[in-house]
Amino acid sequence: MRKKATMLLTVLMLLIVTACGNSANTKETQATATEGETTSTEATSTETKKDITLRIAWWGSDTRHEYTQKVIDLYKSANPHVKIDFEYASFDDYWKKLAPQAAANQLPDIVQMDVSYISQYAKNGQLEDLSPFMNNQIQLSDVSENVLSTGIIEGKQYGIPTGVNVLGFQYDPALLTKAGIDTIPEDWDWDKYEELAVTAASNKLFFDSGMAPDVFFNYYLRTKGKTLYNPEGTALGYEDDALFIDFFDRLARLVKAGAAPDPGVANQSKGIVEESDLVKEKGVGIWQWSNQFVGLQTVVNRPMDFAPMIGPDMEKGLYMQPSMYWSVTSNSKAKEEAAKFIDFWVNDVEANKLIKGDRGVPISGKIKESLAPELSDQTKQVFEFVAAMEPKASPMSPAPPVGSPEIIAMLADYAEEINFGQTTAAEVAPKFREAANAILANN
Amino acid sequence: MRRNGVLKSNLTGYAFISPFIIGFLAFTLIPMVISLYLSFTNYNLFSSPRWVGFDNFDKMFTNDPKYWNSVRVTLIYVLLGVPLRLMFALFIAMILNTKSRMVGAYRTMYYLPSIIGGSVAVSIMWRNIFSNEGIVNSVIGWFGITPVQWFGNPDASLVMLISLSVWQFGSSMLIFLAGLKNISVEMYEAAGVDGAKPIRKFFSITLPLLSPIVLFNLIMQTISAFMTFVPAYIISKGEGGPMDGTMLYSLYLFRQAFMFNNMGYASAMAWMMLILIGIMTGLLFITSKFWVFYESEGGR
Repeated sequence: MRKKATMLLTVLMLLIVTACGNSANTKETQATATEGETTSTEATSTETKKDITLRIAWWGSDTRHEYTQKVIDLYKSANPHVKIDFEYASFDDYWKKLAPQAAANQLPDIVQMDVSYISQYAKNGQLEDLSPFMNNQIQLSDVSENVLSTGIIEGKQYGIPTGVNVLGFQYDPALLTKAGIDTIPEDWDWDKYEELAVTAASNKLFFDSGMAPDVFFNYYLRTKGKTLYNPEGTALGYEDDALFIDFFDRLARLVKAGAAPDPGVANQSKGIVEESDLVKEKGVGIWQWSNQFVGLQTVVNRPMDFAPMIGPDMEKGLYMQPSMYWSVTSNSKAKEEAAKFIDFWVNDVEANKLIKGDRGVPISGKIKESLAPELSDQTKQVFEFVAAMEPKASPMSPAPPVGSPEIIAMLADYAEEINFGQTTAAEVAPKFREAANAILANN
Repeated sequence: MRRNGVLKSNLTGYAFISPFIIGFLAFTLIPMVISLYLSFTNYNLFSSPRWVGFDNFDKMFTNDPKYWNSVRVTLIYVLLGVPLRLMFALFIAMILNTKSRMVGAYRTMYYLPSIIGGSVAVSIMWRNIFSNEGIVNSVIGWFGITPVQWFGNPDASLVMLISLSVWQFGSSMLIFLAGLKNISVEMYEAAGVDGAKPIRKFFSITLPLLSPIVLFNLIMQTISAFMTFVPAYIISKGEGGPMDGTMLYSLYLFRQAFMFNNMGYASAMAWMMLILIGIMTGLLFITSKFWVFYESEGGR
């Protein structure tokens, strides 16, 4: 009996030992494989390229998932030695997946980055400085300095913008008429906006679905020569609570007047384009980034139009924002191959015909030109609107600092409370400033 | 020599339970110790943890109204949801304890919600049922009640969340059913001879004899209710809204950990939750002396 047990034990031990040995072996082979990859990519002339696997991750809508997979297929057919694994999620889920991966040094080779997160990932050493690859693996001679510089954090190029966007009002002209408004004036100001919105409300239509607090409050502050965060990211960029009160009081007034849905209704349809008031013909328009126009228009399926942002001093407030970036992570073992994929994204005409400007108006001038005849009417509208706004825009503020997701969530919570009528902007303004400054003081 | 043999046979035993020991160490004990350490640090996942002593706990108790809100919401959820769920489970179990030909099919049907219980799909379904134009609002519309904005009103959304938890009564129902089967029919017959009505039978026979099982279900369900996460996360789209009305403790913990990257604070919250659950379970055990009836102790 005892003998049998010891036998069993030895077998077990053996199993464990061999199992360990196995995993060690695979690790070794993996390591050599990646070494082999880099050497093979250095010697591009050699015919047999070693197989390589890239991991890539992005967030977005269903349409984005579809065409991105097509672009990946296109890249794979041009580069048969590259295998690409991909993962995608909605915006919120994406960052929840990325954070633990970052902590475990398991990030995908290429990640889609957002302006609100890029400085955090860059400063924590998760992203690779792309400068060595620029005009080497990634051709960027066609891209304007102003656009590229938005990917620079602390002097290093941590992201290549996928395209640029600009804020605006996207609306259905037919519903605008139904709301009792002839046209939206080119140079409207906040009072005019409120007046039009109330007119729409009197005709039982929402004028808009509200404004994302962080984005539009920042825009408003910029028109006043301030910003949401100071340039160093160590505190808020404004001190006068009157600005906060003026902005959020107005939004709350519009909710109260029925010109914008109250948070109860807004909560219901949040994040689901198909359920937005515009689609249900209950609302005239939506405030959002220009790259979201095509997706919205497809669902709405009625002619839509753009109106510029609200003044005065729109020129000071307006900025061209990279819709998102492609970044290469520092834990990637195939950085050059990753860079080549980004180049394909920026410069390949066929790929951009699939992308159709969903990730913003392409940054390469050549692509913009060669794409022009291919564009659908909606996309053309976007390109034209962005082109019209570009000369009016001022430089973008530095990417939001570490801690901004918490501040944005806090601002959204406060805005919701104000819109519910539970509190007033005057009461919240100092509280917000104090709490936000406390978070930013850690930077 | 003899001693060697004992060691050997012990070793065999350890070898056999090693899968559990390794799993327990790697996935439970060591992570717990690490999280205890992290609860005294400021850790954002990217840079190494910085020791801050009791700062996290201090912030939690004195300087974070959202924390207390999440405690309040969770307590309401547990204190309303668990008793309701158990009452419902017992009610259904008693119906299913009757002799009927279809009883097997019914048992399966009633247990189904619990199989798909905590899943994302059910939460999404619940979201649709309670949406502004959903079935619940249509039905109460027939009775002339104005539709409720289930997602607009913080209290209504919590009610919606509790209703979901009540609906998932299957596992406690099955345990109740097993308990009911153990009560001998003679007792009811004897009570019937003495003239007891069904209600009297329920309170004098069923409930006392079932009380150990009630205690078991109560404790298990309370613990799991404290840890509820998925429905609140899905229904509120991860934001605990409206107005933090569905911000359950675990959801707030998750937000601190994975949205704001405050891992230290989240660890501290997790340990407070452990203590809170410990206290609640302890209280239940203490009170059980007064209402749980064990036959073996002759009624005391």
